[in-house]
Amino acid sequence: MRELLQNPVVQSSALPFLVGLVAAAVLFPLRLAGLAAAAGFAAAVFAIGNFGFEPLTATRKIVVLGGAAALLGALADLAFRPTRFTGMVLGGLSGGAALWAFASILSQKSPLDVTMLGASLVVFTAWLVAATVALHDDPVRAGAAGLGLGLGAGFASVLGASALLGQYGMALGAASGGFLLLVMVLGARVAAGTTLTLTVSLLASLIAAGAMLLAQLHPVTLAALALVPVAVRLPLPRAVGWMQAVVACVYAFVAAGGALAVAWLSARGWKL
Amino acid sequence: MHRTTLGALALAMPLAVAAAPESYTLDSTHSFPYFAVDHFGVSTLWGRFDKTSGKFTIDRDAKKASVELTVETASLSTGHDGKGGGGRTRDEHLRSADFFNVAEFPRMTFKASDVKFNGDSPAEVNGQLTLLGVSRPLTLKIERWTCKDNPFNKKPMCGGNASGSIKRSDFGMKYLLQAVGDDVRLQVVLEGYKD
Repeated sequence: MRELLQNPVVQSSALPFLVGLVAAAVLFPLRLAGLAAAAGFAAAVFAIGNFGFEPLTATRKIVVLGGAAALLGALADLAFRPTRFTGMVLGGLSGGAALWAFASILSQKSPLDVTMLGASLVVFTAWLVAATVALHDDPVRAGAAGLGLGLGAGFASVLGASALLGQYGMALGAASGGFLLLVMVLGARVAAGTTLTLTVSLLASLIAAGAMLLAQLHPVTLAALALVPVAVRLPLPRAVGWMQAVVACVYAFVAAGGALAVAWLSARGWKL
Repeated sequence: MHRTTLGALALAMPLAVAAAPESYTLDSTHSFPYFAVDHFGVSTLWGRFDKTSGKFTIDRDAKKASVELTVETASLSTGHDGKGGGGRTRDEHLRSADFFNVAEFPRMTFKASDVKFNGDSPAEVNGQLTLLGVSRPLTLKIERWTCKDNPFNKKPMCGGNASGSIKRSDFGMKYLLQAVGDDVRLQVVLEGYKD
């Protein structure tokens, strides 16, 4: 068993998928199935074993913020009904969180670079979070967005030379896949809520930004990834739930595939 | 007799001045830290950092010495550097947050003032290695040490080889411990010119 959990493929796919699925199945009666993403991600972080609070590096801050996002999202879902302004508010907060996560890198840059990079980080994170949280009442689209964002950020990070961030992203995608599978079986009774949408969007944006700042991921990759929550808004067929989920996933994968194409081309030395 | 003693002291004065602490600046073109780590339990991978700067002082009379080294972590090289355009490389991966995290921690330092001597030469250096924002003790055994004039420009120089080992997990570098060894052997090659 221990040997199995040491396998990076298991750590970032099967384990978070199963944990996400079980968490969603256990918690959906409480309208907290969205914790599936955080649960699967946390299981992967535990199995990978790279986490600790000292020193609190940017990569570790990403994990901390993932946990905080899940708690804040659950609180928002339980305490009040999210409105269309919720996404904007959480997007703004997430932009600030991104600055905190990468403060140690930004502080080493020139004032001009800090301004440009800091503003880009805030805009990217705030957009991705606001656009994804807006899907909170549509579990099919939210789950597909989580799957696309997680796998997109994960595989792009690997192409950007960070296997750790790659594993984190893939685990997030796999956990979202566990959630989406339950949605396909049980339908819209399984709520995504702010819990799922905030967790997946904040983590995916930080993982992708981390791969750009801490490794070699091309910035245009992030712009392509930002299209995932837009892509899943495309019309879905009037069909059974699982078919809608499949189509929503195709939309998400096309947008995430664009991000991967950029990452792959830049890794091969292409000038973009 | 008294005059003889005074005369001998007067003659020894310049020698006493010469034996005062001497300060040396590292020659970065001949000073490199190398590291060796197990890969998959199959082979030992060697790498080095191409940019190292620093100073050391030696007081042979008092048997005291100190050293301060600063290593630019982004100068890491294992011979797979990504210039071929064939995708990401091992050096890029090692520079990422998975291992040396060079964007966040661009420098690694070693500072020591506890140096044991064997005769006139330093034999063991006990100091603090700071890597990834974590400081841990590191002992370097000096295997070879020579001070002489550079044969070409005649400048006084000292240099040698030292070795030690660390556990990378002690510095929070825990990723892929099942595949890339925890024990890291260090070999440091140093040359410095007298200031």
